[in-house]
Amino acid sequence: MSSRSPRGSAPRADSALAVEDRLYSALAIVRVVVTINMVGLNAYRRDNFSHPDVALAIVLGLVAWTAAAIWLYRDRARRTSAVLVVDLAIVLAAMAATPWVKSEHFNATIPGFWVMGALLAWAIHWHWRGGLVAAALISASDLLPRAEIDQSNYGNVFLILIGGPIVGFMCESLQRMARERDAAERTAAAADERTRLARAVHDGVLQVLAMTQRRGTAAGGEWADLGRLAGEQERSLRSLIRQQDTVPTASGPGAQVDLAGALEAMATAHPVRVEVATPGAAVPVDRHVAQETVAAVKACLDNVLTHVGPDASAWVLAQSAAAAITISVRDDGPGIEAGRLEEAAAQGRLGVSSSIRGRIEELGGTAVMQSGTWGTEWELTVPLA
Amino acid sequence: MVRVMVVDDHPMWRDAVERDLQAAGHEVVAVAANGREAMARFPAATPQVVVLDLQLPDHSGVQVTSMMLEHDPAARVLILSASGEQTDVLDAIKAGATGYLVKSASSAELVSAVTRVAEGDTVFTPGLAGLVLGEFRRIADGPADDPRDQLTERETEILKMVATGMSYKQIAERLVLSHRTVQNHVQNTLRKLQMNNRVQLTRWAIEHGLDEGDD
Repeated sequence: MSSRSPRGSAPRADSALAVEDRLYSALAIVRVVVTINMVGLNAYRRDNFSHPDVALAIVLGLVAWTAAAIWLYRDRARRTSAVLVVDLAIVLAAMAATPWVKSEHFNATIPGFWVMGALLAWAIHWHWRGGLVAAALISASDLLPRAEIDQSNYGNVFLILIGGPIVGFMCESLQRMARERDAAERTAAAADERTRLARAVHDGVLQVLAMTQRRGTAAGGEWADLGRLAGEQERSLRSLIRQQDTVPTASGPGAQVDLAGALEAMATAHPVRVEVATPGAAVPVDRHVAQETVAAVKACLDNVLTHVGPDASAWVLAQSAAAAITISVRDDGPGIEAGRLEEAAAQGRLGVSSSIRGRIEELGGTAVMQSGTWGTEWELTVPLA
Repeated sequence: MVRVMVVDDHPMWRDAVERDLQAAGHEVVAVAANGREAMARFPAATPQVVVLDLQLPDHSGVQVTSMMLEHDPAARVLILSASGEQTDVLDAIKAGATGYLVKSASSAELVSAVTRVAEGDTVFTPGLAGLVLGEFRRIADGPADDPRDQLTERETEILKMVATGMSYKQIAERLVLSHRTVQNHVQNTLRKLQMNNRVQLTRWAIEHGLDEGDD
């Protein structure tokens, strides 16, 4: 990226100026081409001039100005509004001189297509307005001195009037895109830096919390309570950092959210001690799917709290495949006796079934419960449309 | 008794880990505060187990793991990490570490993890098991001609149980397998992960023309 320059009225970012630089260097090539064309055509039609010596002087003057313009436009500091005005004034003057140097019934003006240099310069600098003003002035000075206007005169003027503003508009768009890209890059860099700093801070905090927990537990008594609290905070902070890791960097399709992060956030806030295992990358799903799945998992955890108690531990595992996501929720409680759920459903007490099964089945998935000496496990499978 | 090396940049932690290990009858043969020191002291100390903090100031945890194991393939690396940066942990495991613990683990858990890792066993947290499952899932969802190994159904099943906090003993009971078989399956998943990493590195090297003129 080039160096910063405070030049320009609006907050014109560097990249916008860089775009302008590139457009002007492309314009320099155009200028050389139209100058060669202009010299060639005037030499070819030298018999048309009633004042050949003046015509020669004008052509040489235009060539000299072309060289000067290429040099002037190359540098941002030299590229002032005055230069642009002079550029166009020279074009208009050369056109105005044509009827006298040639004759009243001239066909082509002396500069001819050479007018493009100034026209495009105005379009690059003052965008569609500049392109329109320059095109209007050039058209007027082309048409006014003519005794009669034929189809090709009209055609040229029409193209200039259309082309000037369009080129200007496109230059503006290019510059705006460059600025937007710059802003996005800056935001991303700032976010990265914040994350990096946060990591260093978090790491220190986590170390101290883990140490407090360790020492506290060893010391016993009130210190053990302190240690337990430190342990809880450590777990929440670690989970928070992991959620940050899985936030998708691009905003992406608006409706998709990260299921892994959402599960992590819900589990951290849940009173049951939960450990969440995720695939290590964001699991993007539709917002509705994420909401319902998280609600179903929360119902599983609520269930653990009711049936096993506040000292229970639970684990949530999120897996993501191309066709479906699978969430396993296990607790270390004594398990549910076979048939008890069916019995409850038969008696019309549908609490667990409706809040877990209902939600998942509505998403077109399945909820399967298994229970044993190792605890109770729900496996929720939700297809991805 | 296990010969252990402790690599951690926080002196408080280094001392605590050292004390715990010594109290349990292990010998701490070397300590280091960063990757450079660790690599300098590792060859002479010849530890059986290296307890390594991934967040070293020179960001070299993963590199240190692979360099140590290259130097002495019999050594075992146990990652002890505070924040559990997911990609770092997975990279360290791919580089050959066979154990991973978060720092909030109790002294007893740490001591038992060191003993188990020294015996060639693997020590997983549920979180790491989830990451490994995710890694194999990504391979399975990738192109069909991927030369990298995939998990068998049994291995996936067992890893899922590890990821939901079940002990090897519970898994063995639930699946009616021996404890040793469960252990072997879990070790296999790690071995495949490390092999896959080598396949991936080799393929990368071939694609970038690094295999030519390098002998």
